[in-house]
Amino acid sequence: MADKPVYEEASIDGQPSKLASIPASDTTVWADASPLLQAACAGLRDGELIHGDNFNLFAAMSALEIMDPKMDSGIAAWHKGHSLAQTVFSCIYLLRLDRTAPHALLHSYCRIIRATCKAVVSVVSDARTHEEEDLFTMTYGLPLNGDGDDKCLSILNAVEETISRQLRACKATSSKRRLPEDLEPLQSNPNLEEGFCKALLCRLRFRKGRGLESARKHIASCLTELESILKSADFLRSCFDESCEGDIDDKTTASGFEPIGFDAMLNSRLSAPTPPRAIKILSWKKGVEYFVKLLHDLDVICSYSLDPHLESLLRFVVQFQKSQPDLVARSHLQLLLVQDGKLYGRDPFFAVINKAAALPEATKNHDIQKNESFLQLGMLVMNLLKILCTNAAWQRRKLGKFLQDWRVIYVQLELAFRNEYGEVSSSSNDENTCMKIFQHILLWVEEQTFWIAFRFLILGFELELYSTGEYCMVYWYLYAVLIKLAEKTHLMMAVSHDTAKRKGKKKKDSPKDLARESRIPPAVLFLQCYICLAEGLTMMLAALRNEIPVFHGPSPFNTEHEKFVQHFELLQRACIPDHVSYLSYKESTTHARFSTLAMYNYFKDAQRIAKEVKSSFSNDPERLAELRKLEQVAEHNSVAQNVICRLGALDPSLKVSFEFSHHPFFATVVVKRS
Amino acid sequence: MEAKPEEKAEFEEPEIEYVSYGGEHHLPLIMNLVDQELSEPYSIFTYRYFVYLWPQLSFLAFHKGKCVGTVVCKMGEHRNTFRGYIAMLVVIKPYRGRGIATELVTRSIRMMMESGCEEVTLEAEVTNKGALALYGRLGFIRAKRLFHYYLNGVDAFRLKLLFPPPRQVL
Repeated sequence: MADKPVYEEASIDGQPSKLASIPASDTTVWADASPLLQAACAGLRDGELIHGDNFNLFAAMSALEIMDPKMDSGIAAWHKGHSLAQTVFSCIYLLRLDRTAPHALLHSYCRIIRATCKAVVSVVSDARTHEEEDLFTMTYGLPLNGDGDDKCLSILNAVEETISRQLRACKATSSKRRLPEDLEPLQSNPNLEEGFCKALLCRLRFRKGRGLESARKHIASCLTELESILKSADFLRSCFDESCEGDIDDKTTASGFEPIGFDAMLNSRLSAPTPPRAIKILSWKKGVEYFVKLLHDLDVICSYSLDPHLESLLRFVVQFQKSQPDLVARSHLQLLLVQDGKLYGRDPFFAVINKAAALPEATKNHDIQKNESFLQLGMLVMNLLKILCTNAAWQRRKLGKFLQDWRVIYVQLELAFRNEYGEVSSSSNDENTCMKIFQHILLWVEEQTFWIAFRFLILGFELELYSTGEYCMVYWYLYAVLIKLAEKTHLMMAVSHDTAKRKGKKKKDSPKDLARESRIPPAVLFLQCYICLAEGLTMMLAALRNEIPVFHGPSPFNTEHEKFVQHFELLQRACIPDHVSYLSYKESTTHARFSTLAMYNYFKDAQRIAKEVKSSFSNDPERLAELRKLEQVAEHNSVAQNVICRLGALDPSLKVSFEFSHHPFFATVVVKRS
Repeated sequence: MEAKPEEKAEFEEPEIEYVSYGGEHHLPLIMNLVDQELSEPYSIFTYRYFVYLWPQLSFLAFHKGKCVGTVVCKMGEHRNTFRGYIAMLVVIKPYRGRGIATELVTRSIRMMMESGCEEVTLEAEVTNKGALALYGRLGFIRAKRLFHYYLNGVDAFRLKLLFPPPRQVL
């Protein structure tokens, strides 16, 4: 019996089939366990389960059935968040790159792809902001490191030269004769050779250079080549006789032809910790679009002026994020901003804070920066920049938790200040300087904290986290935060003006100077415009709720109080602002009625301020655009308020809705009669 | 593919019978409903995990002996809070829009509340307007947005319901 293969007999449709299986040995024998299993099954009652000692229901949930993923590939899909294994490395050429060596063109292209992937993984890993996009950097042992990949650019250059010569030769041979001996045609039809050369070239081009200026030139030429790639699609499609099934827009190649050498099953064991789900590879068109956008985003980053003023930088990052850049672009921005623990790899963070807090240039090298609290503050600023480069959803969560850190640093600094200087006014020069540093920075930290709180709240609108029934409390809280932000900004500007005055020649203030001083700075007026809009919306929404019960029905399990607690928990915990609670919210809004609403139109105030302050921002297109939006919101809401006041109590069919068509976080109120 | 006009079932609200999970005989009914209607594929172990450990939190809706809806939940300690979690909620198409899902979820939440849960949570696709409206009416807020939560690239909201602190018995 030993070593003889035993054939199992299995009956399928009555036909016995012979299957080779594990042979019995000297000490083992095969026995039919079917009757035993049947008896065990019969003995089990409903709901009973036979399992081993280490069986655990929770762990058993990970038992998934493996499905066939779709067969396709694409770097664009990888950038968009899917694993390398299911995208780039579903191409056999990349897995066995050494085997492509005989074909210079394919070989160099694959090397470049591999080197690019490695570079991108490097950038994103260094940036460390990719929490939710985690699949991105996992390589699962796939070969990203190739020997000689550092020379891939010169190999590619050589190939590019060859194809360029081929293209020139094609164009030169007017009678479309055979190419010169040393050039191998890309394909068999001489009439199509020129088109193929062009199509290939635009996919291969590269340029040398260093620095942001050079990068911008590269980007511009890349965009041109992408245009050519798109144009090549028509030619490539016409080359293939087979009519393509399905919508050409869904195809993953320019020609519509199925890609050769790609098989998603190649890496079914490597794709992820759990077996892979079917993913949708981006269509070729969408892939090209992705790269066009990426290049535009990178261009914006490369053209940034590296402004040493933190306030301008923060505005730049916020503005950049409005175009919803993807992970790769955001990682590059972060790496530009924070390198070697310095801003732009150039400015130490204490110097940055020194400037932002309107301290004289001389104090940026003061020894006080070695103080633990100031070191921590530098870290907070660095982390703030990193957080602002992440995707909006993650950013908001991080900012919310971050508020506590800023609050703590403020308390620490204040404590340190009081311990050092107490109530005594010191006379020593250095002590005066230290005091001044503390005072400025404490004020600046407060301003920064309220700015973060403001950003946290408005991101909620962008992420659609608030339902309409919650707008009232959100605008009320926004109003409370904006009031403090405006106050601190105003103080900061006053203190900054003092510093500037002291720097300049000591001359008597002219009447003009005095008048300018007593005017509210434009930046503060800008915030006041926000304040008016927030207040107007709070009151209008409060009146609507108080007068029209249907407007906001009660929920069976909790009240507005619980919702308030949940939405503002992180702000409340950090006491931002102080003395703000659900109770104070109720007190402010409980008496709002249509009659009280009619008494004061905050939107008209907002309109007036926006108009007034425009001239101060004539060189700032971004702020001008924002002011125009604020004017529109104010105007629409002013009209809506009038309608509501006149008709609200009389017309129960009044329908009120909210749109964000004019401004991303100030709603436009739309009133309709049904 | 032509879109057929959706056939709505005819029934009165009192005809719907709501039943707490009663045992193995309910399991295939739940599995069939969920397999049919939801995109996430679950193994039988997933269902068993929920209904074996928290049978009192799962409910089924029947109309004339046919299972038309179900809710599957769990609860437990999570970072120092006792929290309920709604894992699956399904009502077959012809029976939607009539409050059956709301009733199923309400029963489960009430049971969680009575069992001492401080809050209830679940995830829902940002595009699932129906679910967002349903849970919004019950008092859930959108606590977080989860970027590309689902592998098809769609974001999710984490929805949370916070119960008021238990009333003091005077």
